[in-house]
Amino acid sequence: MSSESKPSGWQLIALLAPAVLVLLVLFGGGLAYSILQSLGWQPLIGQYRLSLDAYTSLLFSREYAEVFWSGLAFSLWISAASTLISTVLAVIVALLIYHTVRGTRLWTFLFQFNLPVPHLVAGVGMLFLLSQSGLLSRGTAALGLTHTPSDFPVLVRDTNGIGIIIAYVWKETPFIGIILLGVLRSISDSYDITARNLGANFWQRFRYIILPLITPSLLSASLIVFAFTFGAYEIPALVGVRFPRALPVTALRLFTDADLNARPQAMALSILIALIISLVIGVYLWLRGMAERLN
Amino acid sequence: MKHLKLVIILMMLVMTGSVWAQQDVPPTPPGFTDWNDVLQQARGTTVNWYMWGGSDAINTFVDEFYGTVLQEEYGITLNRVPVADTVDAINLVLTEAEAGITEGGAVDMIWINGENFFTLRQADLLYGPWAETIPNSTLVNWENPAVAYDFGVPVEGYESPWSSAQLHFIYDSARMSADDLPHNFDELTAWIEANPGRFTYIAPGTGGFMGTRFVKEVLYSISGGYEQWVGEWNPELYAEWAPQLWDYLNGWESNLWRSGETYPANENELAQLFANGEVDFAMTQAVAGAGPLITAGLIPDTSRAFTFEQYSIGDYNYVAIPNNATNKAAALVLANLLLRPDRQAGHIRPETGFGLGYAIDINRVDDTDQAILEQAFVDLGDGAADPALLAAAFAPDMAPESQSIIETDWEANVLRK
Repeated sequence: MSSESKPSGWQLIALLAPAVLVLLVLFGGGLAYSILQSLGWQPLIGQYRLSLDAYTSLLFSREYAEVFWSGLAFSLWISAASTLISTVLAVIVALLIYHTVRGTRLWTFLFQFNLPVPHLVAGVGMLFLLSQSGLLSRGTAALGLTHTPSDFPVLVRDTNGIGIIIAYVWKETPFIGIILLGVLRSISDSYDITARNLGANFWQRFRYIILPLITPSLLSASLIVFAFTFGAYEIPALVGVRFPRALPVTALRLFTDADLNARPQAMALSILIALIISLVIGVYLWLRGMAERLN
Repeated sequence: MKHLKLVIILMMLVMTGSVWAQQDVPPTPPGFTDWNDVLQQARGTTVNWYMWGGSDAINTFVDEFYGTVLQEEYGITLNRVPVADTVDAINLVLTEAEAGITEGGAVDMIWINGENFFTLRQADLLYGPWAETIPNSTLVNWENPAVAYDFGVPVEGYESPWSSAQLHFIYDSARMSADDLPHNFDELTAWIEANPGRFTYIAPGTGGFMGTRFVKEVLYSISGGYEQWVGEWNPELYAEWAPQLWDYLNGWESNLWRSGETYPANENELAQLFANGEVDFAMTQAVAGAGPLITAGLIPDTSRAFTFEQYSIGDYNYVAIPNNATNKAAALVLANLLLRPDRQAGHIRPETGFGLGYAIDINRVDDTDQAILEQAFVDLGDGAADPALLAAAFAPDMAPESQSIIETDWEANVLRK
């Protein structure tokens, strides 16, 4: 056994340094700058005094409070709904594909073909397909089911975020599903066979064998999807309405406002978005830890 | 010394002569010795022109109509940089100033007016004054207050006009007859009630400056005139009329498209709704009316423009050069080219996809050019509204503070109610 099998302290630092440096400087630097600006530090207009004004203004002022709280509720709704629906769908589809005997490769390919499609393109596609004068509406009109664009239900650019949720579910289900397929394939099917021999039906096998085994990856994938959909900009900007408006869209609008005094609010909102996501993830992991200990 | 008196008289003549000669020398843009110097410094360079990119028609037009001439006659490469809203270019200049970039900036020229011009003037980030030093500036009627004041802010040579625009409406002659058209806001209200779900307007806000303009027209109409609104911003007058304005717009809501739950965000979205048959009216600011949108294939060929009898807000739009621009010379050449009579006569034509009005005064050009300019006006085609009616309905815009106040208040009082 050579003494070089385990890197020494210095070697470790040298090996990790490039990645850590990029992380610290670019990400950490950006984060630090955002925090400073959110506290009111704006050299361009001569503002050097730090304060929490931007945060209190966002949360409580007459100008921003309504936009913030409605945006928060809306963002939580679309993230939670998209994550839940895509998770359930992903489990179903992954199990189905896992159990097909023939054509597994084809089904897998079809399932994941939209992974490289950018979210922006997915949003535009949804608009073309689902708007009141879109492809689907023209189809129903040709079939005589609707007569004018306004007969077709409002699915995109609606105040409930249905269009946004549909777009996210379309994009994120394959994401979670592919991860699940990988996990399912790595589980030895001897558990499954043994359980079947002992007389377990599908639901029992699912609940006691498959589910516990896929839960760790399922949880990580869902949390990633939640965090992403909560902080993403393109789909709510494209497929959503002006009010209620998802938080990231409001943040960008504040940032590009001609009034430079709105910039601390924009930064504060971005920091709040990051904090909220961290909070949700933290709570969820804590609950899971509790559940494990109770088991 | 007997020639001394003669020498002194001669010297005085020479001095006065040189003073006269000085008055004949045209002023030059700051930092250059003369116009030839500008042309020379510009040759072989690239100019970065930041302009609103929300209209495909205008984008293609600019690349072809100015880009090729710049390249062939002046050796300048045009790099048109589209922005979703002019405020994005403003923010870029502001951010660069914040970062201490005092030269070699990314933005050479901005298509600008109104509150964006106001922002950069306030921050003292514009190069100038240069607008009256370029050769073709003699064709612009700087005595006209509509040119010399941009949203009430004195231009003072810090921006040069490109074209003029006036907000009015488009209808489809295949769907509606001209007799059924509303010609003022009361008739429009009656039309909306008789045709629920068939009208909407652009949401005032970022990229929706036409919507803000529309709301201002409503304000002019219900307050009985525009004279009281132009000039300096009057917050008391606004506080007096704003509640009635929001009530008026809210009164439409139940009969608007999508029951007023949402509004199209910009001109293109409204044109899409109009073309798809979801609403019956679109809006335009082009003097060529529906022409440019028809050329771009965005709306049906049967579309026509029309105007109300009053309160059609119009203004000039300009180009400005930031202080830290890398290539001021090429920007000056481009600004000068925009005012050239053949370019002005060209840009008004609907086939170009641009179709905005003239910035130069037709009376100041020589006879051949005058004929070209007049002909272009005649050739506007069916898609355009009657220029005489447009001129009669003209109203100026309000002070720059009005823009963001109306946008914010509309969102709070109309959209969210």
